[in-house]
Parts: sequence; C-alpha cells; structure tokens
Amino acid sequence: MAPRCRRYPLPLPRSSTGSGSRRFSFSPVDSSSAAESGVAGSTSRALHSGVAWYAGIRGKFYEGKQSSDFYKWGSGLSLGGVRHARVASMAAVGAKFEAKPEDCIEVSVDGKDVTIAKGMTVLQACEVAGVDIPRFCYHPRLSIAGNCRMCLVEVEKTPKPVASCAMPALPGMKIKTTTPLVKKAREGVMEFLLINHPLDCPICDQGGECDLQDQSMVYGSDRGRFIEAKRSVVDKNLGPLVKTVMTRCIQCTRCVRFASEIAGVQDLGVLGRGGAEEIGTYVERLMVSELSGNVIDICPVGALTAKPSAFTARSWELKSTESIDVSDAIGANIRIDSRGPEVMRILPRLNEEVNEEWISDKARFAYDGLKRQRLNEPLIRSADGQLEPVSWARALKTVAEAALKVNPDQMAAIAGKLSDAEAMMALKDLMNRLGCERLWVEGNGEDTVADLRSNYLVNSTIAGLENTDACLLVGTELRIEAPLLNHRLRKAVRNLRAKVGVVGPETELHFKAEHLGNNAEVLASIAEGKHPFAQTLSKAKFPSIVVGSGVLQRSDKEAVLAAVQTISQNANVIRDDWNGYNFVLLNAAQAAGLDLGFVPGSRATVGDKSSIKFLYLLGADDLTPEDIPVDAFVVYQGHHGDRSAYRADVILPGVAYSEKEGTFENTEGRTQQTSPAVPTVGDARDDWKIIRALSELAGVKLPYDTLNGVRARMLAVAPNLFRVDELEPATPLPKESLPEVKAKLESSPFKRAIENFYMTDPISRASKTMAQSTAAFSRS
Amino acid sequence: MAWRSKLSQSLRELRIHMCQTSVASKATREFVVKNYKDLKTLNPRLPILIRECSGIQPRLWARYDYGVERSIPLDGLSEPEINAKLEELVETAPQSKTPMHA
Repeated sequence: MAPRCRRYPLPLPRSSTGSGSRRFSFSPVDSSSAAESGVAGSTSRALHSGVAWYAGIRGKFYEGKQSSDFYKWGSGLSLGGVRHARVASMAAVGAKFEAKPEDCIEVSVDGKDVTIAKGMTVLQACEVAGVDIPRFCYHPRLSIAGNCRMCLVEVEKTPKPVASCAMPALPGMKIKTTTPLVKKAREGVMEFLLINHPLDCPICDQGGECDLQDQSMVYGSDRGRFIEAKRSVVDKNLGPLVKTVMTRCIQCTRCVRFASEIAGVQDLGVLGRGGAEEIGTYVERLMVSELSGNVIDICPVGALTAKPSAFTARSWELKSTESIDVSDAIGANIRIDSRGPEVMRILPRLNEEVNEEWISDKARFAYDGLKRQRLNEPLIRSADGQLEPVSWARALKTVAEAALKVNPDQMAAIAGKLSDAEAMMALKDLMNRLGCERLWVEGNGEDTVADLRSNYLVNSTIAGLENTDACLLVGTELRIEAPLLNHRLRKAVRNLRAKVGVVGPETELHFKAEHLGNNAEVLASIAEGKHPFAQTLSKAKFPSIVVGSGVLQRSDKEAVLAAVQTISQNANVIRDDWNGYNFVLLNAAQAAGLDLGFVPGSRATVGDKSSIKFLYLLGADDLTPEDIPVDAFVVYQGHHGDRSAYRADVILPGVAYSEKEGTFENTEGRTQQTSPAVPTVGDARDDWKIIRALSELAGVKLPYDTLNGVRARMLAVAPNLFRVDELEPATPLPKESLPEVKAKLESSPFKRAIENFYMTDPISRASKTMAQSTAAFSRS
Repeated sequence: MAWRSKLSQSLRELRIHMCQTSVASKATREFVVKNYKDLKTLNPRLPILIRECSGIQPRLWARYDYGVERSIPLDGLSEPEINAKLEELVETAPQSKTPMHA
C-alpha cells in the first residue's frame, strides 16, 4: 500500500488545482509529484524563491507557446479559458519568475538524474524524481522543523542517514531511498514514535486517515519490542472546536508552527524536554483565531481532531462531495463529507488561487446549522396569526394573487447573503416582468451602482494581494470579514515587509499594522497627500487599497469611494500591469448579485420603505420587523426559519448550499459552483424552480424551465457567470471616463460590518457549534 | 444628442457586453471609455452594466418596462455606429404594455 497524504489526494481533483500548483509543477508525466512539489511555495523564503524561479525556467521552455498552454501542461488538465490578464500581471509581479539556468543543479535520486533549483531540499529533490518520502513534521507551507526524523535518506559519502526535509540538495548529490540502511532507519524512527503513542486507533477519530497509521503499515516493523508503561499527557482545552488527546501527540510541532506562522497567534508552544515534551499554551487559554480549525487537518495523528464531529463518523463511511463555501465572499473550495442525508464534516480542498488549503472556522464548523431550524413545507399565516402548512399550489397561488394586487412601485425584493446566482436571476426576471424595479442584495446597500465590475471586486486577486508592499485598509476589519484574504495580506507583511495602514475600526489583524484613525478626515488627508501614509503608498512598487463593503452602508459612501479613487490615482495603484484597488465583499451572494444587476433599475423608488406593500425576501434576514411596514405582504423564501421568517405571510421552503447546484461568484470575481451533497429537506424545492413556478401563476411565465435554461439566461445578463472556475478580470475605466462626484465626506466613524464573526447568516445562526464559539471566543 | 437624456425614461437598464482584449470588441471598449461619463451624468439612476467576459461577442442589451429586452450585436461596428444603435434602442422603445395589475 502506498502511503497517501490525505491533504493532497491524488490525482488532483479537477477544480482544486490553482494555477499556482501548475506554475510550480515539475514533471509532465507524474502529476502526483507536481501536486506535492507544487505546494512547496511558501516554506522558507530561500526555498520559496528557489522553487518560484525554477518554475520560471519551466516557463522559459514554453514561452514560445501560448500562455494558456503553459498552464495546461503542468497538470495535464484543461483550463478551457484564457487568462491573459492574470498571466500578464504575474509576469509583471516578479523578476523572480525569470529563468536563470546557471542556478540549476543536478542530483541523482535512486540512480535517476533530476534537475532541480538551487536551494531545494533533498526531500523536494526526491519529490521531483517521483520518490515518496515518509514525513510527519515537514509541511510544505510551514517552516522546516526537522524533528520527526521520519524522512531519513542515505546520501553517498555521508556517514549517517540525513533528514531530507532539512538538508539542502547539493550539486552531484547521490541520494538513495531504497537501501537497507534507509529501511532500517525508518523502521527505527517509527518504533521510537510508537513507543509513546497509544494503541487506540479503534477509538481514534483520525483512524483510517492517519499519517502515523498509514506510514507504520508501510515503513514500520511488524512487531513492537516495548513493554514498559507508555507516557500519558494531560489534554489541553483549546475551545469548542479543536479536541485534544495529547497522549497521541508525536511532537511534530506542525500546530505550533501553523499558529505562529499562518494564523499569527503566538499561543501554542513546546514545553518540557525529552519524554516530558508536550505541546500546550503554558497557562490555560484558548487559541483564538478564525483559522484555528486548520490545525486539525495538519495534525498528522489524532492529537488534534474536530470536537463537534468527535465519535460521529469514520472516514471510510463518508461520501465526499466537492463544493464551495458560502459563509463569506472568498468562496473557499471545500469538500462536504456526508453520510446518508446528514453532513458529517466539511474539509478544505486545495485551490492555490483561492484558499490554498485552509478554510475559516465558520466554513468548517457551521454545518450543524444545516440540521436545525429548517423550513420543510410551505406555510401560510392564517387569520389568527399562526403559520399553517399548505400545499405548494396554494402557497404559490396566494403569493401570485398578493403580488398582482399591488402597484409595481410598491413592491420590493431582497436577496439574502447565501443566494445563488440562478435564484437571483429568476427573481430579478420575475420582479422586472411584474414591473418592480426595487431590488437589492443584502450587504450591497439599497442603491449601489453596479456598473463597473472593477469597482466592486478584489482586482489584485486574492492570491495577488500577497505581492503588495504597501496596503491601505479602509473601513474594514479584514481578519473578521475575510480571514483568508487577511492571511494573504499577512504573507505580504511577513515576506515583503509590506506596510499596512488602517482607516477604520481598530482590530487585531495578527500582523503589524498602523492604525491611522477611524474617521473620514484621515481618509481626506491621505487623499490630499498631507498624511505620511500617502507617501508610503506612492513610494511602493505594488501599492494596494482594500475597501470593506461596510462603507456601502454609509450615507456618504459616494464621497468615501471618491476619496479612495483619489488616493489610488495619487499612489498609482491602478496600472496596466497591476491593479491594487480591492473592494472586499462580505457575503457569497454579493458579487453575483451585482454582476446580474440585482440593483434598483432606473426610476425605482429608493430609501423610504414605508411604501412597500409587497416584499419578497429570498433568504434575506437583515431587515428588522420595524423596517417592514405593518400592512406589507411578506414572502419569505429560504431554508431556515430565521429572523424574517417570523414576519412572513407566506413561507416557501428553499434549499441550502449543501443541497443544490448553485453558481456563486467570489469577491475576486471567480465563478464557482456548489454541488449537492445531501438530499433536500422535506418538501423544499430548488430556489429558482420556486420562482419559475410562481411566475407562471402570476401570468408572467419565465422563458426557462431547466437549470441550463437559467444559466443560458445568465449568459445574456452577465456572461462571466457562465465561466465556471474561471476568473474574468475587470478592466478599470480611466479617470476621465468616470462621472464627477459631488458628495461630501461625513465625519462619522466607520462602523464594524460584522459584529460577531461566528454568526453572520441563517446557517451559522442556527449552529450550536457557532453559538459555543461565540461564547468562547467573541470579543464582547 | 438630446436622446441621451431620455435614456432613463425609456430604458430600465442598459447592458454592454464585451471582451477585455479581442479586436471585435475594440470599438465597443472605446465607446464605453468615451461615452460612459456622459451617459451616466445624464442618467445617474440608470444601471449601465458593463460586463466583460473573454471571447464574447460585443452586444448592447436594453431592458425596458416589464422585463422586455432587446439586444444588438456590435461586432464590426464603429464607435459612431454603436452610438446610432444605442439611439435606435432608445427611440424604438416598445410602448409600455398595460400592467396586468388591478
């Protein structure tokens, strides 16, 4: 049995291969080694530059070809589209991608000669040669510890076996991985690791997907010689998300390095020496990070496991479905593991361009909310104020009749945070056909201008933000609003010493950032060039601005955005080869909603809500009952009986993201699709189908009745939503082409867009785990 | 060009599809760069959705009252011709059909 690391399932899933991994791939025949070495990017800086530049050599070989061909070649997978703009920006971003053949060295692995970049380790050289080296402590995204000793190999003319993960490969090195010495060394290391490892695999949640279990089968001895008592370690309390069984820990220190290097919290450490060595927080405290759940994935044994799913499932009885996370606007690639009708857990998938291999705790643990508070049958509010179950036909007829009674000017439709593009498309068409123009998506504000895509997307791309060397955050708490984007910015601060200035609410970002103030005056003074940070930005090579979509809720949003535009012009943030103007959205539905033009049409009423007589809520829960007029007829279509469902006159049960095939666009403009992992609940129906059925009863039949039909319609509205797994870059208009803004800045401070990271949408509000996390980690 | 200020009277939404790089979309891109400011200033509340997507045919979409839509392909047209097509979409706006509402 070949050992398989569960983080990098081979072969790579179709959509989980970002161009990053293609960029760094080495062998056109062996996609497995390409995947493994592909993630070798960010270990240490020396390694990083070595690998990146080796990719440059590869690029050189193929520069005569079309750039998209170069991408295709790496993993042997078709990308299907063109990414000229992305390629151009990458070429601009780095001289590091230029080829320098003299920096190549040749080594031999088991008699096979391979060419690698200078600075790569022996272990990476073996990967290039397609030889698998067992390892526990080595992780391509973390610094090198070299303490598990599992990766020992023999190098000719060295007296002892060497730890390949920590040994730089030198020219002419002859590496041997199949000799009796190596076999004996691995067996010995494994025996020592198992001395103090409990034999509790049958009751361990990691059982079946455990690196130690797998590797002991392949490299270990067939019997143990240890008969003394094993050591035991007191479990640590890391909060409601991560369960610890510290006796199982093999002190690989991956979690310690993850915490300090990726999450940016310095809480975990190694205590004691020798047999008394243990991982802990010294004084009892929780590890407070939005990314803390990832330590579960990087732990090679069962020491850190998921607390909410403890003892609920075995890995081999789960069905995996590749999908997209909707808990924020990043669109992290996830794998939904289900058993029968139940979602058992959610794990990240590899996508270098979006989430690398991390996901936020909300994405990982809010799934138990999918089982609570679900709407499973159509309901109508009866005369006595109670909601009564009715048939679909009657519910839809009631809605249609109510809609036709109302003047179109007195109608409104709001799409909620988790709405998919298909449902929003259908709802927009339906409302437009009824004559209603008053539409908006939660988080976008009620009268946002959606004309230019470059104004509301992360133009540097999520991965591209790593290249910035000066960044201004405006009105955003990036760590809470988009933890994975914050992580990218953190990389820029760590690797490039990027300077970060914050105008907005003061928040711990887990990296060094200068808080410039929380009012519009600071913004104005940067725009006028009076503030020292204006110089910092204009001196930077790749300056960037990150604006939080919380500013859309401000009454002076036009003035704020105009000030940001001025700053971006003064600092040359938008150039042909680099666009550092980034607008960060909060919710999964926002980008697609803006692209589809789910905004008020011309001559629509805006602002005053008291005139609304018919309100269609597509999973929208942000309006308080006071905002909704008493005499309005409210339709709530959604999957959870959340806030607004209590005000609804008719409830139409829709489906959650884990149950449907829906299109979502993330905050950088990447179109991705979810796939159904579990069956729908009760009598619930796909959201767009409900709206399609309703349109027929309302006498304005929509011209599509298949999912492909809706998508073809999306092609006529926002064609980029038809290009799944692709990023269509947005071209900014020059300043001369933009209308003048006359609005004035107000002095009010920027408000927090998210009060509680753990509960932002109907699913996470229904989740018990998220409630526990709120209690344990919340800032108030 | 008085018809331009009538845009938001006859249209509910204007969409312009084009490719970021292709030759076929070049005139459309130029049209947007030159005319967006004027159109938006005259019609501040009209959504003028500029949607870029690689390799697509440049096209002008107009949405009128009650979800009625019309579109005109723009490949091969020069910038003044695009302007004329837009005027055509405005001038030939369909009569608002009587709402079915009571």
